[in-house]
Amino acid sequence: MRILVVEDDTNLNRQIKDALTDAGYAVDVAFDGEEGHYLGDTEPYDAVVLDIGLPQMDGLSVLEQWRRDGKTMPVLLLTARDRWSDKVQGIDAGADDYVAKPFHMEELLARLRALVRRAAGHASNEITAGPVRLDVRSGKVTVEGQAIKLTSHELRLLSYLMHHKGKVISRTELTEHLYDQDFDRDSNTIEVFVGRLRKKLPDEVIQTVRGLGYQIVGD
Amino acid sequence: MRQRSIATSLFLISGIWLIVALAGTAFLLSGLYSQALDTGLSETLDFHLETLVGRTLEAGDPRSDAIDLGDPRFDRPASGWYWAIRDPDGTVLNLSPSLVGMKVPVISAPFDDTSKRTAATKDDFATEIRVNEREVSVNGEKLRILVTGNLDEIFQLVDDFRSQALIVLGAVGVMLAIMSFVVARIALRPINQLRTAVERVREGESESVTGTFPREIAPLADEVNQLLNSNAQIIERARSQVGNLAHGLKTPLAVLRNEANAAPKDGLSRIVLSESDKMTQLVSTYLDRARLAARTAIVGKKADAAILVSRLARVMQKLHPDRNVEFRRPDASLPWFRGDEGDLEEMAGNLLDNACKWATKNVRVSLVADRREASPMLVVRVEDDGNGLTDEEASKVLRRGVRLDEKTPGSGLGLDIVKELVDVYGGSLQLGRSELGGLRAELRLPAARPGRN
Repeated sequence: MRILVVEDDTNLNRQIKDALTDAGYAVDVAFDGEEGHYLGDTEPYDAVVLDIGLPQMDGLSVLEQWRRDGKTMPVLLLTARDRWSDKVQGIDAGADDYVAKPFHMEELLARLRALVRRAAGHASNEITAGPVRLDVRSGKVTVEGQAIKLTSHELRLLSYLMHHKGKVISRTELTEHLYDQDFDRDSNTIEVFVGRLRKKLPDEVIQTVRGLGYQIVGD
Repeated sequence: MRQRSIATSLFLISGIWLIVALAGTAFLLSGLYSQALDTGLSETLDFHLETLVGRTLEAGDPRSDAIDLGDPRFDRPASGWYWAIRDPDGTVLNLSPSLVGMKVPVISAPFDDTSKRTAATKDDFATEIRVNEREVSVNGEKLRILVTGNLDEIFQLVDDFRSQALIVLGAVGVMLAIMSFVVARIALRPINQLRTAVERVREGESESVTGTFPREIAPLADEVNQLLNSNAQIIERARSQVGNLAHGLKTPLAVLRNEANAAPKDGLSRIVLSESDKMTQLVSTYLDRARLAARTAIVGKKADAAILVSRLARVMQKLHPDRNVEFRRPDASLPWFRGDEGDLEEMAGNLLDNACKWATKNVRVSLVADRREASPMLVVRVEDDGNGLTDEEASKVLRRGVRLDEKTPGSGLGLDIVKELVDVYGGSLQLGRSELGGLRAELRLPAARPGRN
C-alpha cells in the first residue's frame, strides 16, 4: 500500500511518515500543494493524507483538481478547522474522511486503514482468502488459525494482493504500490519477495498468471 | 454629561423672546397711539384758537359775550376744556363758562416764532390739561388767547387701548408658545426615530440603522451605520485572528503530542503530553467561546434548513458508509432557520454524527414545522436504531448550567456546543426514544419565512 502525505509542517510530516512506515505502508511526502498535486496526479497511490492549509495551492483546491481529473484514490483530510461547515466543504470537495488536528496518531492510522479497506471493497477489518486471514488493524496474518511471521516487505505484498484478491496484479503495479518514490525499482525484487512469501503460505494461495502478474483467488 | 433638553431650551428661548417682543410691541403701539391722540388734541386746540381769534375780530371787542366756540364741552364747568382771553398783563378779558370761578391755567413756556406756545399742566381740580396759547393783535390791542383740552380723557383712552392690546398680544403669545412647543416636538421627532433605530440595532433586531431621515439627520444616521460597519469589521478581524491563532496552534500541538507519544515514557514526555492536552483543551474551549461571543453577527440571517440538512445527510452517508442515513425530504412550505447556516450545520451535524456512531444500522433525519405557537419553530429530528439513552442518562446529558467554560472532557457526546448554540438561539433540545428503537434528538429552533437561495 502506497500512501502520499501532503503536509507543510516538516515535523508533522515526518511523524506521519514514520507512523505510516511503521504500519507497513510505503510513504511519499510532499510539503506544499503544488508538489502534492503533481505527485498525486502522476503516481498511483492507495490513499492520500492531505492537509488543508498548504502553501502554493490549498488542500481543497488540490483535491478538487484531482477529482476533476478523475483520480479516485481515497483522501483523508487533515484540518485544524473542525466545524461541520468546514467538514462538509471538505467532503463536498471530494474527501472521504477527515481528521481534526491535533489528532492521535492511532486515530489517523485507523481512519486511513478503513479508507484503504473500503476503497478495495472490503467491509470488515479482516480479509480472508482460503485458509489465509489478514487482520488489517494489527497486520497479523494467520493460516488456519496459526499465526505466521512476515517481514514488513512481505506483509506489504500480501496485504496488497489480499486487498485486491481476485484481481491479477502486474509486477509494475506491485512495484508502484509497494515502494515509495525513492526506492530503487527492480522488478526482480518483487519476484524474490513473492518467492519468500510463497514459502510461508500454503501452496496455490498466490498464483502466477503467466505474462500478466500475480493473483490471490478469492473465496 | 446630560445637558438640558433641546426641546426645553428651544421652548424657553423662544418663550423669553416672545414675551420681550410682545411686551415691547404693546408699549410701542400704545405710545404711538397716545402720540397720535395728543397731536390730534393739539390740532383741535389750534383750530379752536383760530376760531376764537376770528370771533374776537368779528365782535371787535374781546370782552363781548358773543365770543363763543359752540362746543358744549366749553360750557361744562371743570370739564378740562377751557378758553380765556387776557391782555399781556394777565388781566382776564373774557373766558369760557367752564372756567368760571377757577384760576386761569398758567404756563411759562416762551412764545415761538408764530407767537404760539403750548404745555401740559393741571387745572384746579388736578385734571391734566393741554394748554395752547397765542398772542394776537386785534384792532391794535395786544391779546393772549388760550385754549385748553382735557388730557386725562386721552390718558384714559390710551390705558384702555393698552390693556386691550395686552390681552390680544397675550393671546397671540400663548398661541405662538404652543406653536413653538409643537414645532420643537416635530423638529425633534427624527432624533427620536434615530434613537429607536439605533436601539433596534443594539437589541439585535436590525443590522443597520434603517428608515428615512430629514437632510439634517440623514448624515448622522449614515455615520452611525459606518461606525457600526467598521466596528463589525474590527470584531470580525479580531475574531478571525483569534481563529487563525487557535487553528495555527493546532499543528504544533499535534506535533508535540505525537512526538511525546512516540518517545520513551519518561518525565519529559509525560509532561509534554499532559500539557499539550491541556493546551488543546484551552484552544478548543476558547475557539468555541470566541464563536459564541460573536453571535451579534446573526442578526437578519436565515438559512434554508432543507438544503443544509440534506447536504449533511449526504456527508454523513459518506463518512459512515456502513450506516443507512435517511433524509426525509420536507414539503416546500417548510420555514427556514432564523440564524447562521454554519450554526445550524454545527448543531445538526453533531447530532447526526452521534446518531451514526451509536446506530446499529439506520439513522433518520427529518425536518418539520411546529406552528402551534405564535412564533413558528423549525424542528430538526434525528433518530437512530442504537441502544438509546435511559431517561436518567438523557437528563444528565441535557443538564442545564453545564457550560463550555466548565466543560470536562469525556462526555463523549459532543453535545456541549449544541446545547450552547440552542441556548443562544432560544431554542430547545429534547432527547427521547425513537420509533426506530434508539435515541431521538429533537432540536427546536426559531423559524424564518422562506427566502430565496
